[in-house]
Parts: sequence; C-alpha cells; structure tokens
Amino acid sequence: MEVEVRVFSGLEKFVPGAGPGKAILVQVPEGATGRKLIEQLQIPADQVFTMFVNGWHATPEQVLRPGDRVALFPPIGGG
Amino acid sequence: MVFKFLRVNTTTGEVKFERVPEKYLALGGRALTSQLVSDEVPPTCDPLGPYNKLVIAPGLLSGTNAPSSGRLSVGGKSPLTGGIKEANAGGIASQKLANLGIKAVILEGKPAGSDWYLLKVTPEGAELLPANDLTGKGTYEVTAICRERYGKKVAVITIGPAGEMLVPAAGVTNNDSDGNSSRYAGRGGLGAVMGAKKIKAVVVDSPTTFDAPVKEPERFKAAARKFAQILQSHPVTGQGLPNYGTNVLMNIINEAGTLPTRNFRFGRFEKASEVSGEKLAEVAVARGGKATHACHPGCVMRCSNVYPMPDGKVCAPIEYETAWCFGPNLEIGDLDVIAKLNYICNDVGLDTIETGCTLGVLMEAGVIPFGDGEGAVKALEEVAGGTPLGRIIGSGSANAGRVYGVTRVPAVKGQGIPAYDPRACKGNGVTYATTPMGADHTAGYAVTANILKVGGYVDPLKPAGQVELSRNLQIATAAIDSTGLCLFVAFAVLDDPEGLPTIVEMLNAQYGLNLTADDALNLGKQVLKVEREFNLKAGFTSADDRLPEFFSLEELPPHNVVFDVKKEDLDQVFNF
Ligand code: SF4
Repeated sequence: MEVEVRVFSGLEKFVPGAGPGKAILVQVPEGATGRKLIEQLQIPADQVFTMFVNGWHATPEQVLRPGDRVALFPPIGGG
Repeated sequence: MVFKFLRVNTTTGEVKFERVPEKYLALGGRALTSQLVSDEVPPTCDPLGPYNKLVIAPGLLSGTNAPSSGRLSVGGKSPLTGGIKEANAGGIASQKLANLGIKAVILEGKPAGSDWYLLKVTPEGAELLPANDLTGKGTYEVTAICRERYGKKVAVITIGPAGEMLVPAAGVTNNDSDGNSSRYAGRGGLGAVMGAKKIKAVVVDSPTTFDAPVKEPERFKAAARKFAQILQSHPVTGQGLPNYGTNVLMNIINEAGTLPTRNFRFGRFEKASEVSGEKLAEVAVARGGKATHACHPGCVMRCSNVYPMPDGKVCAPIEYETAWCFGPNLEIGDLDVIAKLNYICNDVGLDTIETGCTLGVLMEAGVIPFGDGEGAVKALEEVAGGTPLGRIIGSGSANAGRVYGVTRVPAVKGQGIPAYDPRACKGNGVTYATTPMGADHTAGYAVTANILKVGGYVDPLKPAGQVELSRNLQIATAAIDSTGLCLFVAFAVLDDPEGLPTIVEMLNAQYGLNLTADDALNLGKQVLKVEREFNLKAGFTSADDRLPEFFSLEELPPHNVVFDVKKEDLDQVFNF
C-alpha cells in the first residue's frame, strides 16, 4: 500500500528526494506501523521525536492505512 | 550598588532617581512592572491620559552572566485592551539598564505642549533632551541617528510614527547588538502610551553588559554554568531553536492542522513550507544572512535570524508568529513579502501580530483580496502617512472589524489572536481567553504539551486537561517573565527537573536569598493575581474571558472541530 510522507527540520537529509514539506509517496507492506516506515526510510529512530498521521499525534506502534498522510519531525520548538 | 528607579515626570520635565523601596527589591521584569502599574496607575484611567504610566524594567537576572537573561519588560495600562499589560522584548536595553542599577524607568504625567523629548541615561545620570528633530522618523533611522550621536554601543528604546500617532497597535522597540530596531515589546499598544508622554526615545549608555551586582559570585557562576548546560543539552533549546529559529514551527503547526489560514477559516495552508523556518534558513544563508543569531549578548539559544531582503535591507529576525500573520493568515506564500511587511511594521512602529490580524480582517471585508501581497504592502505603507486606512490598520483587529462590519475577528479583550488556532490547540485557546493580557500565546504556551510534546502531552483536540495545563503554564510564565530569562528556557525547564531549582539557585546567589522552587511559583501566582485584580477594577468581567463566538460555531478543517472548553471551566483558570 502507499502512504504520503513528509519529513521536516533536518530529517530530509536521510531521505533521498525529500525536501521540507514535499510529499513523497512510499510503498509499505499492508499493516506496517509507523516504526516500520521509519525503518524503511532509514531514518535513525532516535531522530524522530514526533509523528503525525493525518494531523493526529501517533505512536510508532500505530498501524498505517492506505493513503495516510504521515509527517515526521525531530524535536523542535519556538513561539 | 543601590538599586534605583528612574522616574520621569513628563508634565513638569523633572527627572529623578529614587532608592527602590523595600517592597519592590525582590521584584523584576513583569512582576515589577505589573506591581508598579497596580500600585500607581488608576485602573479606570485613560490609557493615553496623564494618569497612565509606562514602566520599563529589566528582569531580576538581567545584566548578569545568566544565559539568555536579557529580556525587558514594558508595562502600563493597554490602549488596545483597556487592561494591564506587560510586553516582553529581547534586545540589549535590559542588560544595560540592569548594569546601571536601574530596576525600572517610570514615565509618568503628560506634557501640555507639542514638543518631543529623548531621555538619555548614562552612568553619570539622566536628562531629557529635545527630540523634535527625530519625530516622524522610522525606528531604524532614529536608532541609527542615536547610535551616531551617542555611540555605537548604546541601546535605543524607541517608537515609530505609529506610536507618535497614538494608534492602539503601536509597540515599543529596542535594538539588537547590530543596531536593528526590531526587538519589540509589541503587544497591547504601549508605543502609544510612550507617544502620549511625548518621549520619542530612551537612550541607555552603559559601559558594561554582564556586571550587574551579584552577592555571591562563585555560587552564581556555578549555577549559571549549570543552567547553560541544561539549555544546551535539551534537544529544543540546544538544537531546534539555534538551527531554524522559531519559524521551524510553521510546518509542525500546519501538519497538526492548527495553522490559522485565511483569517482563521482553515487549519492548513498549502504553501506553509514555502514560508517555514527551513526555507527561511536556506534563503537567508544563500543571500549572506544568518540562520541563527542572538537578540542580545549571552543568549545561548540564539533563535533569531538575519534575512536579507531583495531591496538590500535586512529583516532581523522573522519570527514564527510574524511569518504566520503575514503568511498563512493572509494566504501569502512568499517570504520576501512577509519580510517586507515585517520590516515596515518594525520601522513604522507597529506590533506585527496585531497588524497581521488586522490585515486579515481587512481581507475578510474585501478591502484587499486574500493573497494580495502587493496590496497588503501598499495598505501598510499608508500607516506612516496617517491616512484613514493607515489609522484603521494601526487601530488593531477588533477596531477594524467594527469599522468594516466583520464578525470573524480573531481577538480577545481587543487583542489579536496569534498563530495557533484555539479550536485545534485548545490549551492555547484557554490561555487566549483567560490571560489578563488579552489574546497572547506566550502567556501560557500550551503548544508545548498540545503539539510539541514538551512537558507532557495533552491531546490538543479535546477539552480535557486544558484548563489545568494553561493554568500551570500561566503561573510558570509569569515567574519566568519576572526573571528576565527568555521564555524559551521553558522548553528545557519543563522537561528537566534540575531546571527550576537552578533558576532559583541563580536568584539566591545574586540577591543573597533563600528562595525555594515553591517561592518562585508563588511569585508567578502573585503576579497573575495583581494583574487580574487590576483588570477587574478596570471593569473586566468573566464575559471578557471568552473567545469570539465564531470559534464555537464554525468548524475548523481538517479536524472539523470547534472550541468546546466549557465556560464554567474557563472561569476556573485562576482558582489557585
Ligand atoms: S532564544 Fe531567541 S528570543 Fe530568546 S533571548 Fe535568545 S535570541 Fe532572544
């Protein structure tokens, strides 16, 4: 199945073809979790601090569904 | 060193130093401005009249080696909200005042004539000088002239033409070490209060920056070093802020679906990444600017930036809230346009957030089309000329809404709502509704636990837990705002159990005190009580602690949520 992934704030350096905010389409096995996706993208797990799936905070255990919009962030803050 | 108040009676022209009375000695920053305003300003007075005062105070730790401790508090009764106001700024003025032993500058009274003055403060004393030649000038020029006249190292606290015109969105600014007059105590219209006193600028000349008196220097040094380590080892304050600045938030707030777009109609903006911190860093560096920069010497988090604009000027910095208010809020996806609008605000002397909210309301009314950057720039350029449209822009979002019959006006207590939609970041919604400041994200920044997962996690889309979250953050913020520490230290302090004790240790070593962490939180509570009391006496009721109606009527996509924290619960925020 296919999910839509965006990586930000430095994580793009691990993902060929990614730019901040640029959606990339990634094929993952049915039933793949967030953790599996991060592994597959070869992003070091300790670099991902926040994951959103369709705008909701998600844990690495969350099972992805076809067409999900996934966003990955390192620790960031501001205000 | 004897701590002093510098009191300027603008009615008589008298300038005098006073020994700080005992009761104010342990106060600084916001605690001091709010206490002084509460003690000396009648809550029902006209904000532009002779009874209001403008109080400028460094924080308790300002002017020492404590990292990131040079924040300045500016207080008074707000012409925008009609309530008490503390606006907080970076820049170099705070450290200089503290090094001169000045705990507060108090501008009071109101001159009868039409002449303008400059207050010059040096180690030798203080005097009022004629300043008619500076009137009508933008803050960048005023700052450059003062640095030319009084030395490159002076701090220049000043207002632009907007403050001279007494419009209620006018801010008070001061400069960074490079002379950029962009470090604003922006919110709440305090620039108009300074304008009403006919003080165009306060120039502070101090030969030292880090030599404010410290009772136990060795103990202080150890605590300050430890605090620097705490900041540097936390991922947000040690890496996130220095790498991309505050505008790194653009993408995560967008992904969370809480980025107010098209005047709070949508929660996502398709061009968000075009105006994000990542993009800003890339463009700034490519043009020879800086992706990281300190607003004052001694800041270790360095969240600022220097953005060179196509016209050869620099906008330093572009903060997230400003990028938001002129970007997604207006459906403008071009950083150069945002930088230009930001620069004009800095120069003419307007609060960027209020101005962005006001432009959003004008776009809602059809005065300028959404997305029309050129139209927005042209309209904003009218402020300096004092045209009717310019004055409407300077009057703030709530006033503009009234003039044009707009109901989707994002404001609380008359002050514009910043960069996080309260429907999908409900903790911030509670803060906007209830803080004595009027809508203000910094007053209780629930984005931490709602979105960034710092200091715990509270689901941003559900009402549960938001009141408690906002309450605790408002208390902690009031305390931090009193120390002179940049509020961004909170990212580390909320996560690191050593954070708060180390701040307390610095205070104890500096002042020879025996405070506990509880005492610090009690100070925060005390500040909020004083501020709320002022507002009650000024005529505020629980009806003022509410968000605009449309937030509970219109669903915000993509989550399709309304603001649904109950009124009874909002009324519990100050139950402590
Ligand atoms: S973190 Fe940013 S705003 Fe805070 S003191 Fe440092 S440069 Fe200034």
